Amino acid sequence: MSLTTVRGLKSEIFVPITPSLVWASLDKPLSECTVAFCTAGGVHLKSQKRFNLSGDYSFREIPSDTPASGLMVSHGGFDNSDVNKDINSMFPIDRLHELEQEGFIGKVAPVLFGFMGGGGNVNKFKEETGPAIAQILKREGVDIAVFTGGCGTCHRSATLVQRAVEAVGISTIIIAALPPIAKQQGAPRITAPHVPIGSNAGEPNNIAMQTAILKDTLVQVEEMKTFGQMKTLPYEYRQNV
Amino acid sequence: MSITFETAKQHQNDPAVLCCLRTKGTIISASDLEDPSIFPDLEESGLLNIPEHGLTIGQVLGATLERDADSMTPLTPELVSHISENQMDELESEKITTSPNTGEDPTHETQVIRFNIDKLVGQIELPPGLNVNALPFATTASKKAEDKVIRTLTQRAYPVDQVCVGAETSFQDKVLTIREALCEESLKADPLVKNVELDIIRPEDRHIYSNTIMDVIPIATKVEGILGEGVTHVMNGVIVVLTGVDEKGIQVHEFGSCEGYLDEKIRFGRPGSPDSEDIMIRVNVTVQENTGMERRGPFAAHKACDSIIQEIRDVLKDAPADASTDQKVFRDWKKSGKPRVILVKEIMGQGAMHDNVLLPSEPAGVIGGRRNVDLGNVPVVLSPNEVRDGGIHALTCIGPATKEVTRHYFREPLVNLMAEDEEINLAGVVFIGSPQVNDEKSYVSARLGALAEALDVEGAIVTTEGFGNNHIDFAGNIEQIGRRGIKVVGVSFCAYQGQLVVGNKYMDAMVELNKDPEGFENEILADSTICPTDAERALIMLKTKMAGVPIEPANRKWSQEVIDANEQLMS
Repeated sequence: MSLTTVRGLKSEIFVPITPSLVWASLDKPLSECTVAFCTAGGVHLKSQKRFNLSGDYSFREIPSDTPASGLMVSHGGFDNSDVNKDINSMFPIDRLHELEQEGFIGKVAPVLFGFMGGGGNVNKFKEETGPAIAQILKREGVDIAVFTGGCGTCHRSATLVQRAVEAVGISTIIIAALPPIAKQQGAPRITAPHVPIGSNAGEPNNIAMQTAILKDTLVQVEEMKTFGQMKTLPYEYRQNV
Repeated sequence: MSITFETAKQHQNDPAVLCCLRTKGTIISASDLEDPSIFPDLEESGLLNIPEHGLTIGQVLGATLERDADSMTPLTPELVSHISENQMDELESEKITTSPNTGEDPTHETQVIRFNIDKLVGQIELPPGLNVNALPFATTASKKAEDKVIRTLTQRAYPVDQVCVGAETSFQDKVLTIREALCEESLKADPLVKNVELDIIRPEDRHIYSNTIMDVIPIATKVEGILGEGVTHVMNGVIVVLTGVDEKGIQVHEFGSCEGYLDEKIRFGRPGSPDSEDIMIRVNVTVQENTGMERRGPFAAHKACDSIIQEIRDVLKDAPADASTDQKVFRDWKKSGKPRVILVKEIMGQGAMHDNVLLPSEPAGVIGGRRNVDLGNVPVVLSPNEVRDGGIHALTCIGPATKEVTRHYFREPLVNLMAEDEEINLAGVVFIGSPQVNDEKSYVSARLGALAEALDVEGAIVTTEGFGNNHIDFAGNIEQIGRRGIKVVGVSFCAYQGQLVVGNKYMDAMVELNKDPEGFENEILADSTICPTDAERALIMLKTKMAGVPIEPANRKWSQEVIDANEQLMS
């Protein structure tokens, strides 16, 4: 039995290869650094406008003195059970303040960022959202920006913004639940705890795990010396959905 | 990195570029050349400029380098001599080599010609009376390959002209009546369900506002046998549309939305959507506040809706056979002598509304099935008939243009096309979930590869609904199959908004599902899902790849022209 074939067919979908490198080295100890946190996981103030769940490249400035109880998520790309229990599982704002009090970092940046990267428009994030967030972080004297994604396309959007921030001279790192995406999209530095999408920064209400993930990630900003490095972190959490 | 002779042959019309430093006098072979598949990236980053008068790989093989040249140097007529126009043809002869015979009979010592033959198909006829024991090869008894039917499914169709709400549920003379109290009773299906409403929308009344569509569900029921065999009754001309909201009025189940006017938010006539003449029974469920984006909320809505449909199924079971206007017979085959292939359908398995019920008791039902998230998202094989008999109840319907609803699986064009195709043997339809955790993604992909190997298939088509994190699984699934030497074709919505986030070298024959002019998830229900023309392109691409006919690499950016050109070639 022979097969019907057609000559000249062309594959219809481009398969990507990692983009060019972008790098800003860290030149001071963590204890003197101003640290910002950005998430593509749809976090915002309860008083702010919800994100458009079908694709939204706007962002929300989150004053870092906002209590965790003042925050919420609008995102459909992952099961919301965990972020509904504890926003720190995506956006570890309480952990950041604890690290400042402990002297582990210099201080928390006055403004942090939430955006909804799901289904994100690549060019808008690359050319508008990323550079806009980078300018504000630069103006606020931020030394390190830590990112989380959310869903799959969130990791893409988060990495696009991360690259824009790195490009203005701020050292960045992403805590990736989906490290292959961060890697392929060209994240300068990546840590990868064993966590599900939706609790990218660690198990909800597990302060020890969230702290450890954040601390290890910040240490990696000091230790990683070349573009595109990834470190798997030894913390595992399975969500019981 | 240098390339092999086979790669050079594949790329004989692509530019010839040195992979490494080479000295004057080198007779150029494949091992001196760089892989052309990486040129676009090198050119984009400015590391490589290929001049217009550059030579092709076919021209330089066997030619002589006239001076020392560095790696990444494109070869031009000034750099090489003895250029050939038909070098590849000549090189074919290199594959015929001679060597001394080391056989057992020294008296016949001579030289033999050794051939490398890519493929030998056909049979040798032997004259009657020939002593077959004297032949240098074994013969097998001639056995006529026979196709066998494994199981048969009969679907009896019952047209519905009118649907109304009344005191009792009944189905007679093409009129379906649904008991009014059913909505109230359906609240018992799950405590998270707070309210259920039902209304009937005729085709002429579709300009009506709706909450986001969670699912489109056919009404079908088993009359004889189990799912995939025996007799099923199906209502034609009517379809259930499940919509939902939470107690605070927030749309549930959404990552993208098709909230709005039904006539604007549905691409009628897609395999998964209502047809243009269908009466819609809209079941609108209100779930407990803040559960709309958690796994339990949407599932509760599906259970309530299913309890309503079950009472309709029960009256449909009693419809007399002679009232059916159409009868379709589906067969699962075992086709001897035809290449075995599988269809892999990647489904969502990340929790929330990213889940599916596999193999419910009733076609397209909920009860009796197991959810792929609970099964750990590992691959599960269904027969083509099990799929066509409503073996999948989709709980996922967000990103509405690219997700496959329950009706889609009931009328899946690739399942039908591959099951009925005369040239292949569809061994099964494999459903594999896309887990929430990255480690689990590689775990289930690896099991899929092992399954394909064990099934001993020669080809596979892998499809995925949606886009984003599931593309990690999609790439992983294709890789696990491809690395085992099985020919594989990928099918997905990517276009602009869904462009791949990861990739690998086995993803070289891909079919795009986008139908939106700008390449976006346009929030029109089922718009960019698999249609019959997509299925045809995918299958012909698989057959082409299995036959060893090359498929050209993709352009770097999505363009509709490529898809149109492929369709043109097939017509």
